[in-house]
Amino acid sequence: MLDLLNQLCALDGVSGDEDRVRAFIRKKARPWAHSIRTDALGNLIVFKRGGKPAENKVMLCAHMDEVGVIVTKITDEGVLKFDFVGGVDRRVAMGKSVVLGDNRVPGIIGLKAIHLVSREEEKQVPKTDSLYIDIGAGNREAAQALVQPGTYGAFAGAPEALGSNLLKAKAIDDRVGCAVMLELLKEDLPLDVTFAFTAQEEVGTRGAFGAAFSVTPEIALVLETTTAADLPGVEGHRRVCAPGKGPVISYMDGAAIYDRSLFETLRDLAEEYQIPWQTKEYISGGNDARTIQRTRAGVRVAALSAAVRYLHAPASVGSTTDFQDMLRLTRLFLERVAEGL
Amino acid sequence: MNYDKVLARLCALPGPSGFEGPVAEAAEELLRPLVDQVSVDRMGSVVGVRRCGRDNAKKLLLDAHLDEIGFVITGHEEGFLRFAPLGGVDPRMLPDRELTLLTDPPRMGVVACLPPHIQTREDMDKSQSIKELYIDVGLSQEEAERLIPVGTPAVYRTGCAPLGEELLCGKALDDRACFAVLLDALERLSGEELDVDLYILGSTQEETHSTGAITAAYGIVPDLCAAVDVTHGDSPDASKDKTFPLGKGPVIGVGPNCTRWLSTRLEHKAKELDLPCQVEVMAGHSGTNGWPLQVSREGVATAVLSLPLRYMHTPIETVHRRDLEDTAALLAAFVRGIGKEAEDRA
Amino acid sequence: MEIFEVLQTLNAAHGPSGDEGDVREAIAALARPWADEVRTDTMGNLIVRRKGSGPRVLFAAHMDSIGFIVTHIEKEGFLRVGRLGGIAPKEAAYTPVCFKNGVRGVFVPEEKADFAKLKLDECYLDIGAVDEEEARSMVRVGDTAVYQSPAFQNNGKVISPYLDNRISCAVLLAALEGLGECRNDLYFVFTAQEEVGLRGARTAAWAVDPDWAVAVDVTDVDDTPGSEKSGTVRLGKGAAIKVMDSSVICHPQVVWKLEELAQSQDIPFQKDIMRGGGTDAGAIHTTRLGVRTGGVSIPCRYVHTPVETADLSDAEACVRLVRAFARAGLEEL
Repeated sequence: MLDLLNQLCALDGVSGDEDRVRAFIRKKARPWAHSIRTDALGNLIVFKRGGKPAENKVMLCAHMDEVGVIVTKITDEGVLKFDFVGGVDRRVAMGKSVVLGDNRVPGIIGLKAIHLVSREEEKQVPKTDSLYIDIGAGNREAAQALVQPGTYGAFAGAPEALGSNLLKAKAIDDRVGCAVMLELLKEDLPLDVTFAFTAQEEVGTRGAFGAAFSVTPEIALVLETTTAADLPGVEGHRRVCAPGKGPVISYMDGAAIYDRSLFETLRDLAEEYQIPWQTKEYISGGNDARTIQRTRAGVRVAALSAAVRYLHAPASVGSTTDFQDMLRLTRLFLERVAEGL
Repeated sequence: MNYDKVLARLCALPGPSGFEGPVAEAAEELLRPLVDQVSVDRMGSVVGVRRCGRDNAKKLLLDAHLDEIGFVITGHEEGFLRFAPLGGVDPRMLPDRELTLLTDPPRMGVVACLPPHIQTREDMDKSQSIKELYIDVGLSQEEAERLIPVGTPAVYRTGCAPLGEELLCGKALDDRACFAVLLDALERLSGEELDVDLYILGSTQEETHSTGAITAAYGIVPDLCAAVDVTHGDSPDASKDKTFPLGKGPVIGVGPNCTRWLSTRLEHKAKELDLPCQVEVMAGHSGTNGWPLQVSREGVATAVLSLPLRYMHTPIETVHRRDLEDTAALLAAFVRGIGKEAEDRA
Repeated sequence: MEIFEVLQTLNAAHGPSGDEGDVREAIAALARPWADEVRTDTMGNLIVRRKGSGPRVLFAAHMDSIGFIVTHIEKEGFLRVGRLGGIAPKEAAYTPVCFKNGVRGVFVPEEKADFAKLKLDECYLDIGAVDEEEARSMVRVGDTAVYQSPAFQNNGKVISPYLDNRISCAVLLAALEGLGECRNDLYFVFTAQEEVGLRGARTAAWAVDPDWAVAVDVTDVDDTPGSEKSGTVRLGKGAAIKVMDSSVICHPQVVWKLEELAQSQDIPFQKDIMRGGGTDAGAIHTTRLGVRTGGVSIPCRYVHTPVETADLSDAEACVRLVRAFARAGLEEL
C-alpha cells in the first residue's frame, strides 16, 4: 500500500481540479468494481459486491482533492496573483514551490528578501493579496503563454521516507484514505460496499453532498487524516493526537458528533485485535462525515484517521505503521458490520 | 428588451428578502409570454419552464434572485422606530435616508440623524451602526405601535433611472437587472429550437438564506444550472484587483464552484460572438446562489455569470447598458446547443 | 401536566448535544400515553405522532442542552473539555456540573487566564481526583457533563438551567396532553443536536416532509438593565410569535395564522425578532420543496447561563397557541 500511497501523493489534484487523481484511481479500481461512475460534482463512486448483501448499506469515503492555489490575475510584470484553495496558513506557503496546470509549470511563491523588510513589516505576515507566484516570465505575454487566471497549482515536493516509519509528502490528506480504499477494493469483501472517492472536500465537503444523496448509505465510515500537534511547547490538551500512536478513532470533531456505537465498535475491535489506537484530545476540524450524516433522513457516521503533522502544507508527516493499522482496522470493521452490528 | 422600462418597473417595487410578493407578481407577468408555464412556488419564487419537446432532454436552470436588501422594524421609542437589517445592509447609506415602510398603504420614513450644529468634528468622523439609528415616521408612540407593528418590513425609497447616456442607477439592480437579462435572453431565443428544457427561476431570499434557490432546485432537479448575479464594478476608491470595469462585458466565474466545462463554454461562446467578457476566479464560495445550487440532491453542473455593478447594496447601484445586452447575448449563446455538449460529455 | 414539574423531570435527565439518551427516554415516557406512534431516528430525534387525515404539521422543540465533553485528562487529575453548543466560558465559570454516571465537578478558569478574554482552552473541570489514574477511574475521554444547578420558582418566574430548551419540550408535552381530536396529522418532534448546528431538525424534517412547521424554542428579551436591544420581546407579555431570527424569515402565512389564532382566542402574544441566534426553524424551512415554517417562543433572560429565567404565564400562553395551531384548519390557507 505504501507504494500506492507514494504514487497518489505525487499526483496533483487541488479541489475542483481532481481529474488526474480521479483518472488514476479509476484505472486502479476498474478491474475490481462491479460498477463505477463519475457524477456531476466529480466524485468517483465505485460499487463492489461482497460475500453477502449487507443488512445496513455501507459506504466508505475518502476525498481525492488537496489544498493548493489558483491563479487569479496576471500582472504586467508577468507575475501571478493567486488565492489559496482550501484552508492554508499563509506562513507555510511563503517561499514554497508550486506546480501549475496541466503542463506542470513550476513557480515559486515569492516575497521580498528579509534584508528589505523593515522591523515593523517583519512582525506581520503579508496578506494573501500581497503574495505572488513567480514563474520566471518577463512580462504578461510570456506568462499568458504558460498559465491563465483559473489555472490551479499544487504544492511541489516528492513523497519521501523520514526518520523511522514516517512519511513526508504533500496531500497525505487524504490520499491515505484513497490508498486504504483501493487496497480493500482488491480484496474479497465480506459484504457489498460502496467506495466514494469524493471531490472538493477541502472547500466545504462539497462532493459528499451528492455522493451521500445518491448512494443513500445507512452506515458511512470516513477514512481521513487529522491534525497532530505533538510539538514541544504545545500543552498536553492541545496536542490533539500524534503519529505512531495508532489510527485515530473520533467521537467528535468541530463539525460532527460521531455515532457513539460505531465509535465503540471501532474502539472495541482495536482493543480485541491489539491494534494501537488513539482518539482526538481536542475538538477541531471537520470532514465529509458532517455532510453525509445530515443527508436525507440521516446516516450513522464514523471516522477513522491517520494522525498527520503539518496538514494543509507541502511537507506533511505521518506514520506508515498508522497507515497500515488503518487498513487493518477498516477491514475488521467491514467484517463486523457483515456479521451484524 | 427595453431595460429602462422593465427595470424602472421592477426596481420601484418593494421586495426585501422574505417579502418579495409584489416583485414576484410583476416578474411572473413579464415571464409569462416567454415560457410555456409559469407559477409562484411555496417559498415565493417564480418558476417558468420552456420545454424543448425532446424526450429525455436535460434540464437547464437559469437563476436570478428577486429579493433586495431591506429592513424590518423591531421596536418603538417615543414614536421613532428601531430597526434591523434584512440581508447585508451598508449602514453608511442610512443617515437621513428616506425609506418606505411596507404597511398597507405604505408610509414614508426618514432615518433620523443629529444636525451638524450640535455635533463635534470627532462625532461626525464616526460612522453609526444600525443599532444606534431610528426611523422618523412623524407619529406618536401609540400611533407608531398601532400602525407600524414589530415585523413590518421596509425598503429604500427609490426606483431605477438612467445615469448619463450609458448607465442605469437605482435600488435592487442586485439582482433584478439580471432577471431582466434572463428575460432578454429568452426573447433572443424565441422561435428557436432548443435541446434542453429551460427553467427560469426568479428566486427569493438569496440575500439571507438562499431559501428560494435551494427549494426550487430540489423540485426541478436540474442537470445544469447558471446563477446570474452581480459582481463588484469598479469605483475610484476601490482596488482594481477586486473589481471589474463597467462596460467591458459580463464576468465568467472560474473555480471549484463553477464546473469547468461550463466556464469554458461561456468563454468560447463569448469569443465566437466577439463579445467582451472578463473572468473572475473564486477559490471557494462564489457568493451567489451557485453555491447551494451546485450541491442540490446528487449535484448539479454549475456556472456563475455576473454583471459588474457599482455600489452594491446601496440605493445607488449602477450598471452599464452594454453589459446588460452582452450578458443576455452570451446567455442565449450558452443555451443554444448546450444539450448536445452535455450529452457528448456524459 | 404542570410545566414546572415537567421541567424538573427533564432537568434531572442528562441530555447534552449528541448524548440525549436519558432526556429522550424521560420525554418519551411522558408523551407515550398521548401518542399514536413514538419512534427514534438515526440522529436521535424523538418523533411522536398523532395521526390525522389532514395536512401534516410538525412541531419541533430541541431536547438537547449545551454542555461539555471531556477531551483530555491531565496528569494531576483535572479534565480539559470541548464545548457542546454555545458555551461561553465567562457565563459558565464557577458552575457546578455533573456527568451521566453521577460524578460531579466544577468548571473553572485557570488562575493565570485573562478573565475578560476567557477562552475554553484556559478552563478545566475539577472533579476532585488526586491524579490521572483516579480521574480515569471516574470518567473517560468523550464523556459529557452538564450544568447542575437547582431550578426554583419566584414570583411567577422560573429560574433554571436549560430552560433552553426544556421549557419548550414541556410546552409541547402539555399541548399534546390537552389536544383532543384533531384533523391535522401531527408530528411532535423532540430534536437532537440543535445546539451544535440544528442538526437533528434537518433530517427529521426531511423524513416527515411536513406541510407546516412550528419550532418552539426560547428567545432573547429586551427588558433588563443595559440591554443591547437585541430582542423585541419582554417577560410576561405572552407567547412570542417569531417573525425572523438569524436562521430563518418565517413564512408570512404562518405568522399571520398564529397571530389570528392568538387574537381570536385571547392568548397574550408579542412579535419576536431574535437577531442573534438561530433555531430549528432554520433547518426545517429549506427542506425539500420548502416548508411553511414559523416559531412560537418563550421569552427568556440570561440564555445559556445556569440561571435562565422565564415567566410561567408566557409558557402557558405558548401551550395554548401550539394547541390552537395544531387544531387549526390549515387547508384553506
